[in-house]
Amino acid sequence: MTDRIEGVKKLFTSKSARVETNRGDAHYEKLFQSCLARVEELKSQTPINKRLDISDVLETQGVNRRDFMKWASAVTGMLMLPASFTPLVADAALLMNRAPVIWLELSDCAGNSEALLRSDGPKIDEIVLDIISLEFHETLQAASGHQAEKQLEDAIHTFKDKYLLFVEGAIPMGMNGQFGTIGASGETMYDHLMRVAKHSAAIVAVGSCATFGGVPAASPNPTGAVGVMDVIKGKPLINIPACPANPANMVGVIIHYILTGQVPELDSLLRPKFAFGYRIHDNCERRAHFDAGEYVEEWGDEGAKNNFCLYKVGCKGPMTFNNCSIVRYNEGVNWPVGVGRGCIGCSEPDFWDKYAYERPMADANIKAPTGGVEKTVDEFGLGLLTAAGIGIGIHAAASIVAGKKEDRGEA
Amino acid sequence: MKAGHKQVKRMTGMMRSIHWVNVISMIVAVITGLYIANPYYQAFIADDAVDKYVMAWNRWGHFIVAIIFDVTSIIVAYLFFFSRFEKPIFKVVPTGKNIKEFFEVLLNLLTLNRRKNFDSTHADSFNSVFFAVFHILLAWMLFTGLQLYVHGLASGLSSIGTWWPTMLHMVTDWTIQASGGTLMDVRVSHHTVMWYILTWIAFHIYYQVWRTIFWEEADIAIAISGSKFVKEDKA
Repeated sequence: MTDRIEGVKKLFTSKSARVETNRGDAHYEKLFQSCLARVEELKSQTPINKRLDISDVLETQGVNRRDFMKWASAVTGMLMLPASFTPLVADAALLMNRAPVIWLELSDCAGNSEALLRSDGPKIDEIVLDIISLEFHETLQAASGHQAEKQLEDAIHTFKDKYLLFVEGAIPMGMNGQFGTIGASGETMYDHLMRVAKHSAAIVAVGSCATFGGVPAASPNPTGAVGVMDVIKGKPLINIPACPANPANMVGVIIHYILTGQVPELDSLLRPKFAFGYRIHDNCERRAHFDAGEYVEEWGDEGAKNNFCLYKVGCKGPMTFNNCSIVRYNEGVNWPVGVGRGCIGCSEPDFWDKYAYERPMADANIKAPTGGVEKTVDEFGLGLLTAAGIGIGIHAAASIVAGKKEDRGEA
Repeated sequence: MKAGHKQVKRMTGMMRSIHWVNVISMIVAVITGLYIANPYYQAFIADDAVDKYVMAWNRWGHFIVAIIFDVTSIIVAYLFFFSRFEKPIFKVVPTGKNIKEFFEVLLNLLTLNRRKNFDSTHADSFNSVFFAVFHILLAWMLFTGLQLYVHGLASGLSSIGTWWPTMLHMVTDWTIQASGGTLMDVRVSHHTVMWYILTWIAFHIYYQVWRTIFWEEADIAIAISGSKFVKEDKA
């Protein structure tokens, strides 16, 4: 009964997915003043990361001031802030070395770390992420074993209650978490996360595994994998799903945090609205072909050669909220639909079970969890209709055999 | 009129209009909805840059009949409680009389009209419950459909103002949780319930025809002329 009451409560109190893009002059004026004060305060602090200076790095990479300001105004727009915030955003980017970050890697493929690092020519987003004071990153650091443990302890101690905790990967909860252990002491991923999360200022779950469990949590979820928001309560938490998460959105969240000291406005799935308030479909370059009814029928056909809509080969853009049709990946080079591969809804919960198949939902002969998607709805419906037809047939045949009830005996 | 029979009014002009508007809306909604779910015919692939909007027209048709459906549903919901002709609510509340009538009508069908211990001049409890089920299914389609619709208004703007997407979010966001937690679940549910409704339609048409043949009271005429005919001694 309590469960049901909780369920109903959850149903009617969950936050709306609605996005508020314009919050009025008074709001932005107030925000500007508080951001300005915060930036000034940060400027007076000594940088934590003294190894790199962003102006040097930008210069080495051949990014001039004009390009940098263009980037800053784009980020301002992305964060849904008025243009007057551009200088503040630029300042915040330069102050990124004041932000201590601890990065944990749990049950996943390291794809988000890859997204962070593996760009051909690092662009401003990636450079800015180089500048953050990354105090601990299991995959990237040279230290290992007890040495790594000590570094982590040091980082937690030094930046107690100040560091941003980035989490990549799901948390296996099956068998008391024994499916995933980490470090020299064989700590379970769950214990590891809880220990580091305790003294963080805010947590950013990066990628679909850390947000909703992602691929590790796909049916039948043998390890009992869950996302960070399922185990951490009472901490500011930001989800940046997608597989991998877009570095542009990571930068957006960090800059927003540096600028305002707060987490950005979030939707009902704790995703920042500035990034996940857009439907892929509505900003897709192939949208006109969707409306025209021009679809790629099979891979490599005439439609594919003409960049037709990928809906019939399973594009889930119409049900997916993310900004990749706008900001794309690798600093705007391309994105899945651009290369002729439909969206698999990787920023939505349960995407691996419910979105990632190469047919429209109504034509998906795939296995699905808990008798949901796996069971093809059309076959089920047609079966039901057939059953009704057979029932009707039997009844009608019996009616004919039995004959009409005449007036006899009643008249 | 057949001798010894009496005409009984069963549906008002408004009720019949709604009935046939719903019939046409449903046929259009199913045809266009199946196309939206999985485009089953191809546009002329060789035509470049011509004014063709195959999916757009299908979606337009689907949404227009959906909105008509939504409005008739509001009228039907009103009449369910406040009709001056016959208030179906009184036939659906589980009173002893209604429960007895419900099973009597069911037994009449199962015994192929060998047993008929109820008054067939009025709307009976069995049909009223059956129609109530239909309207619950329709209400679910209304809420899930509008939820799917508002995904396309992500900017929060619409041609009639910001209040419309705002209201749609307030009224329909609960369907995400209720259908399984993701936007895809809402779609799956919207699609599955279409099959329930088609199954409902199959029984509805069959049963009305069966009544007409077995009861010999011209029940099939109700939806057209608004009247049926019962023997004088029963009326």
